[in-house]
Amino acid sequence: MKCKTLRFFSILILVIGIVFASAFHIFGQEVKVSEWNIPFLNTITGPIASIGEYMSWSANRAAEEINAAGGVRGVPIKIEIIDTGVDKDKAMEEMAKLVDSALVVMGPVPEACIMAAVPIAVKAGLFSMVSSTSYEYAVEYFPWTLSWYPITEEKLPPITAAWAKLHPDMKTVVQFVENWAAWPPMAEAHAVGLESAGVKMLSQVDVPTDAIMFEPLVLKALAQKPDGIMLTCNSEKAAKIIIELVKKGWTDKSKILVFSSADDTALYTTGGDSLEGISIYNYIDLNLDDPRWQAFREAYKKDHNGIEPASLSTNYYDSVYMIKEAIENTGVTGDPAKLAEERIKIRDYCRNVKGFKGIQLTWDMTDGVPTGKGTFLFEIENGEKVFKAMAK
Amino acid sequence: MEIFIAQLISGLALGSIYVLLVTGFNLMLLVAKIIQFAYPQIVVVSMYTCWWVLKLTGNKLIIILAGVSVSIILSLLSEPIFRKISSIEGVDINASFIASMGIAMIMMDIMSHSINYGFPVAFSPDWVGGNIFGYGLITVSKGQLFALLGGIIAVLIFFFLLYHTNQGRFFRAIAENRFAACLVGIPIIKTSIFSYLIVGILGGFSAILFSMLIGSASPWLGEFVALKMLAVSIVAGLGNLQGGLVCGLLLGIIEAMAIGYFSGSWSNVIAFAVMLIVVLMKPGGLFGIKI
Amino acid sequence: MSEVTYYFLGFAGIYVLMGWALYLPYRVGQLNFLIVACMAITAYFGGFAAREWGWPFIVILIIGILFGATIAFIFSLAIGDAPCFTVVIVGLTSVFIVKTVIENWRTLGGTIGFFHIPGPNNMLAIIYSLLFLVGLLVFRIDHSRWGRAASVVFIDRDVAVTLGVDIKKLGMFFQIISCSIAGMAGILDAFLVKSLSPEFFTFSMIGYLMCILFVGGYTTMWGVILSAFFLQGIPLMFPSNIASWRLVIYGALLVIIILLRPEGLITRKMLWSIKIKSPRYITN
Repeated sequence: MKCKTLRFFSILILVIGIVFASAFHIFGQEVKVSEWNIPFLNTITGPIASIGEYMSWSANRAAEEINAAGGVRGVPIKIEIIDTGVDKDKAMEEMAKLVDSALVVMGPVPEACIMAAVPIAVKAGLFSMVSSTSYEYAVEYFPWTLSWYPITEEKLPPITAAWAKLHPDMKTVVQFVENWAAWPPMAEAHAVGLESAGVKMLSQVDVPTDAIMFEPLVLKALAQKPDGIMLTCNSEKAAKIIIELVKKGWTDKSKILVFSSADDTALYTTGGDSLEGISIYNYIDLNLDDPRWQAFREAYKKDHNGIEPASLSTNYYDSVYMIKEAIENTGVTGDPAKLAEERIKIRDYCRNVKGFKGIQLTWDMTDGVPTGKGTFLFEIENGEKVFKAMAK
Repeated sequence: MEIFIAQLISGLALGSIYVLLVTGFNLMLLVAKIIQFAYPQIVVVSMYTCWWVLKLTGNKLIIILAGVSVSIILSLLSEPIFRKISSIEGVDINASFIASMGIAMIMMDIMSHSINYGFPVAFSPDWVGGNIFGYGLITVSKGQLFALLGGIIAVLIFFFLLYHTNQGRFFRAIAENRFAACLVGIPIIKTSIFSYLIVGILGGFSAILFSMLIGSASPWLGEFVALKMLAVSIVAGLGNLQGGLVCGLLLGIIEAMAIGYFSGSWSNVIAFAVMLIVVLMKPGGLFGIKI
Repeated sequence: MSEVTYYFLGFAGIYVLMGWALYLPYRVGQLNFLIVACMAITAYFGGFAAREWGWPFIVILIIGILFGATIAFIFSLAIGDAPCFTVVIVGLTSVFIVKTVIENWRTLGGTIGFFHIPGPNNMLAIIYSLLFLVGLLVFRIDHSRWGRAASVVFIDRDVAVTLGVDIKKLGMFFQIISCSIAGMAGILDAFLVKSLSPEFFTFSMIGYLMCILFVGGYTTMWGVILSAFFLQGIPLMFPSNIASWRLVIYGALLVIIILLRPEGLITRKMLWSIKIKSPRYITN
């Protein structure tokens, strides 16, 4: 009996010792930097500069909030915005500059820059958070990056099916598709969802990247007499197609569904009142009853002439918080001597974080792929997005 | 048939804008002897001005005046640059193409950096207007009507100026032979400056019609249009005003029909493929080079 | 060598090659943008052959050069003696068509792109060895009868014809050499970047190549070397907030150079003064 008691206490002391030792290991190590510098390879110039602007804005806002609350492990965090435009050479050279010193990198943003620059980070063992792109790009560089979105063919069909179920009389749909980056596979996933709900997909209308006039495209779609329209093209083009559809007498606008990547500021500035009644799916719920989100929303509107936050606007805000958590929970010190080891700590934490509290959702990451992230379906009523359905 | 007519109207409206752009571009080529590749960017900057004034005042007359004025100012501001380039010994017309490419890059980057956070700008529905005629899918919008009529009227006025006025005679004389024109006492520099003024006015009207037709503008719109303007001008024959008129309208119609009747994402390549074939078969253009 | 130096030198080397590819046909007054289409075609061919068929680099390189030459030969039958802007429009439309074909070709990755191209690790040695060889070739051409004939064509086509120069044959020769160099550059680019996307080959690349040729100087082969390194270095030399205005910088440079130094930074006169004889400089 004595022997068992002795053994029990010995194990208890050992366990307590290990726990304390681990805690000391994590928290007892001194931070070796005066500032956490997080480089963000973003696109501030060029054709998608407007997207880069609000991504920078949200990353900076997260940093400001964190610093106001005492920083990360008592040290302020700074987001260093580095412009790559849509230029692959520039992205590669900027990434190459960072491989010797950066703890973690956010971006690049445009897919062409991701393809060019992320292999350099992979080779150097540097974790890059490409939080704006789809799974198709991120998966190519696992485990040295993560996918901000679930697998496309699993994520999208449920939401388009949910839209179809809201409109049981909608038997045929024409999809407008812009041939750019991962949008064609997204279009295929949309079609799978709609077909699973009993909707027949009519001939796709391809939207040229350099299209100026949209009437010919709309006429081509309407000639097939569809019941619904699915828009898989950029925000400005989606808005112009909707305007043309309205001009051609389309009335039931809830049967027009705009995909998430087009839920961008340009959709609203270009579409204006024509958007009233349309359906839209994305990953943020503007009316979420949460003080942190509402503060973000108000600040965003204040700095953007009253425009609501875009679908991608929270990605790098959450990324900054995820990095903060990773640094705090893994005891990263910023010590240049431990750079390789600490990069791996951040990578492993982010790729498998559980119960991460994003500004909109709480989700888990499993081997770099999110689980439990929802997709929301809205209709625009009186200029506001009104929640209609959610798919997980 | 209904779709065909609707596509034809759409193509004609777009074609009329190309005609305006190509006419201004060709005038620069003939009189000032420059390849003004930045001309569509000047049009886009004027569109931005219209958008800004529309937001500020909403007064249509002021918007038109502002758009045309900015286009004239930008066109005239480029005149000393191109005059200096033309005066350099041993430098040919290609130098103006390169310089104007530089000017276009500057204007595009400033717009994407500094105006409306780089977002496209959209004109209010009041400015763009709705349909004024409708029969099934055949509709004619206010923008289309204005683009068609405005384009035709502007080109007619321009051709009247060119063929029935002294100034037009000066233009044609300089285009034919600069030195001979100088010998008979035609004021070369004054006429050249006047051509910049005319091109500025044409650019301003193009901006107004374009804004009514497509309802928005973006920093890279000029680049899309510049390529097509250059292509139309070359396919027609550089400096050929009548050829530009026909080919501009044709390009608009081909684009609309290709999108309407060819399946797959190849449709957008058809206009370019047609141009490539024409240029390969007739390197001097369909109507012949006039410079 | 740091990673940033490696990529800076790698890209600068490739742009020198592309600069020469643009320089050669401009000797006869043709702006041949077909080189960008050739670059895209051979880059995709190289990437695909290396990853899917496991072909060795040297075989890919040779076939890439031949590809470029063949494409140029076919086009040059029609535009060998065409005016400058006809060649311009053939180049521009070809780039657009090639880009669309790639975007629609699923085997090549379509719009998503093409990843993980295997190949030699030290591309820099290969790029600079080839750069040296191409430089020798361009130098020889410049100083050959072909080069002198091209100089006459550039100044006055009628005089060239009177002197018995076959303008079409000359144009074809320069276009073929130019597209072969571009084919080589495409292969090198694919193996340096190790990924390919249709977005890599755009109108901006044409603008950039124009800057390289005309800022450096279009009358000698040395100009593109200076400007390729200078322009590629601009984003690295300036702080991020200034470098983000690089398009304005490039545009302003183009205008200023054309106005103040129309032959570019390196001129024939300058070479003459430092005893490097240019075949295009007339002293009397």
